[in-house]
Amino acid sequence: MARRALVFAALVVALIAAVVASLALGAVKVPFADVIEIVFGGGPGGPDQQIVETLRLPRTVEAMIVGAALGIAGAILQGALANPLASPDVIGVTGGAGFGAILIIILFPGSIALLPVGALFFGLLAATMVFAFAWSGANRGSVGKVILAGIAVLSLFTAATTGLLAAYPERAPSAIFFIAGGLTSSGWDELQTIWPYFAAGFICAVLLIRPLDRLALGDDVAASLGSRPHLIRLGAAVSAALLAAASAAIAGLLGFLGLVVPHVVRMAGGTSSHTFVVPASAIGGAALLAAGDTLARTLRAPIEMPVGPFMVLLGVPLFLWLLRKAV
Amino acid sequence: MLDLFGPYRGYRAPFWLAVVLLVVAMAVPAKAAPPKRIVALTPFVANTLVKLGVTPVGVGQTLGGHDRLSPKLSGVPVLPLSHPNGPNLEQLASLDPDLVFSSRTWAKGNESMGDLGIRVLVQEPFRLNGAYAQTKVIGGLVGKRKEAIALAAAMKRSVAAARKGIAERPTVMLILGVGRTPFTFLANSWGGDLVTKAGGRLLTGGVTSSSGFERISDEIVVAEDPDVIIAVPHANEDDIPSLTEYLRSNPAWQTTSAVRNDRIYISVDNSLLQAGTDVARTIRKVRRVYLQN
Repeated sequence: MARRALVFAALVVALIAAVVASLALGAVKVPFADVIEIVFGGGPGGPDQQIVETLRLPRTVEAMIVGAALGIAGAILQGALANPLASPDVIGVTGGAGFGAILIIILFPGSIALLPVGALFFGLLAATMVFAFAWSGANRGSVGKVILAGIAVLSLFTAATTGLLAAYPERAPSAIFFIAGGLTSSGWDELQTIWPYFAAGFICAVLLIRPLDRLALGDDVAASLGSRPHLIRLGAAVSAALLAAASAAIAGLLGFLGLVVPHVVRMAGGTSSHTFVVPASAIGGAALLAAGDTLARTLRAPIEMPVGPFMVLLGVPLFLWLLRKAV
Repeated sequence: MLDLFGPYRGYRAPFWLAVVLLVVAMAVPAKAAPPKRIVALTPFVANTLVKLGVTPVGVGQTLGGHDRLSPKLSGVPVLPLSHPNGPNLEQLASLDPDLVFSSRTWAKGNESMGDLGIRVLVQEPFRLNGAYAQTKVIGGLVGKRKEAIALAAAMKRSVAAARKGIAERPTVMLILGVGRTPFTFLANSWGGDLVTKAGGRLLTGGVTSSSGFERISDEIVVAEDPDVIIAVPHANEDDIPSLTEYLRSNPAWQTTSAVRNDRIYISVDNSLLQAGTDVARTIRKVRRVYLQN
């Protein structure tokens, strides 16, 4: 219990440090005292105020929400599918969202404002296709069927995306940042459109915490305790689809974060209890994305780099280490 | 005995030197004939060839947007291009070219063309001075050196005329693409150079890059406060109103002078993206429509 509390406290400290860095650092140097003043409603006015209020603050909040959403999506999927490799990719969301965004960028550049909506729509459409295939016919709702349907749908949308990029290569540069994954300084507009999906996903995830712990005992035991394993699995998949599609609409394709963060908190906390893993993954994901985005913005400032590669750079060594330990 | 060299005794060294020079001169092969079957993958080279009186056997499609090729090339086969391979090699080979003028954009394809035994030269200027120099190089290669020198001189004169009387030098951010993360043209890009020549002060945040484009932080845009924003998207004229509205509503740019004074423009003819021979006309358009100087 003490170990979990310690890990939780460390994650909170990491999140606070990442948020402070995200607000204080950027391409333009703003005095730290001014940053604090601006965040608490005051400020000197002028470009510095505009930079912190309109660019850094919404971006930091987006990083926290998206990071938390992907962390939770990974945690509940891994729990529901009893598969350590489960992530939003597995239920097709990443492939669908990528296709939706690239479709808008390549074929409808005049309607570029619809990019988040396109990503969200196709992300959820891909997940719906996975659910439709996985929860019909023989062995409906089985783990293997969900994963195989997810891989098939992911392949379908990935091929469609690649086809679009190959057909319009001169338009590909506009799509690079979305594919690589990255936050933008687009104010609060996108969050205002997408927040209901995050809210629904978060609520659904919270409601699933205890049922997922029962499911971890095995389908038969869970059923004997009055739970319905297939329904829990479907609920987890729907919640993860909402969270991952909404995240992709804002930050592009960052699915890897959802794969790694739950493993890290599980190992650090020494428990697989979802009461601990889900909130810890939320805080860990938020801290990791806020820190990664700060790095992406400042490492070669004023040039901005996509945050996706930083996530992978941080995540791959951890993941390989976990694999080694698992063997 | 007949002494053939008798009269030249005392002049032996100069005589033998003359003989050697004559032999060497005869040994040097005749000057290579200019290539007959030329493929021009860029609009700059295609239009330059037309102005020099040479018709290529194939041309590359222009990058999106409007076709910027000379009307005199209307019957010439157009080769579709894909990044980074350039033309379809079978289509290219069917034209049986002696020489292909390519671009570094098709770097991977250039190697493959070379493997087919086709002579490939990369000729696409990224600065105005490069356009003058490369016009002369192209002329030399196709046996029209004098015409090319005259063409470059005429281009210089027309550019000088187009630049006359610049009254204001507004700060300009020139952006490529319309995704949520547009790239900024740098000074070493074709569009960046032309906007500068037209009197604009290009905002780049002090960034340099060999590619000529970089994704620059919106914080720099706010801090440097451009007077004018010009976007070069891959889009159609029909998209101009919605794209302008999208850029104007970008919350990151709301306080810039360009947004406040409604000076956001969309350029869809690609004249700022890809080098052409219509430089003076492009500079005039930039001055009249965008910079208003």
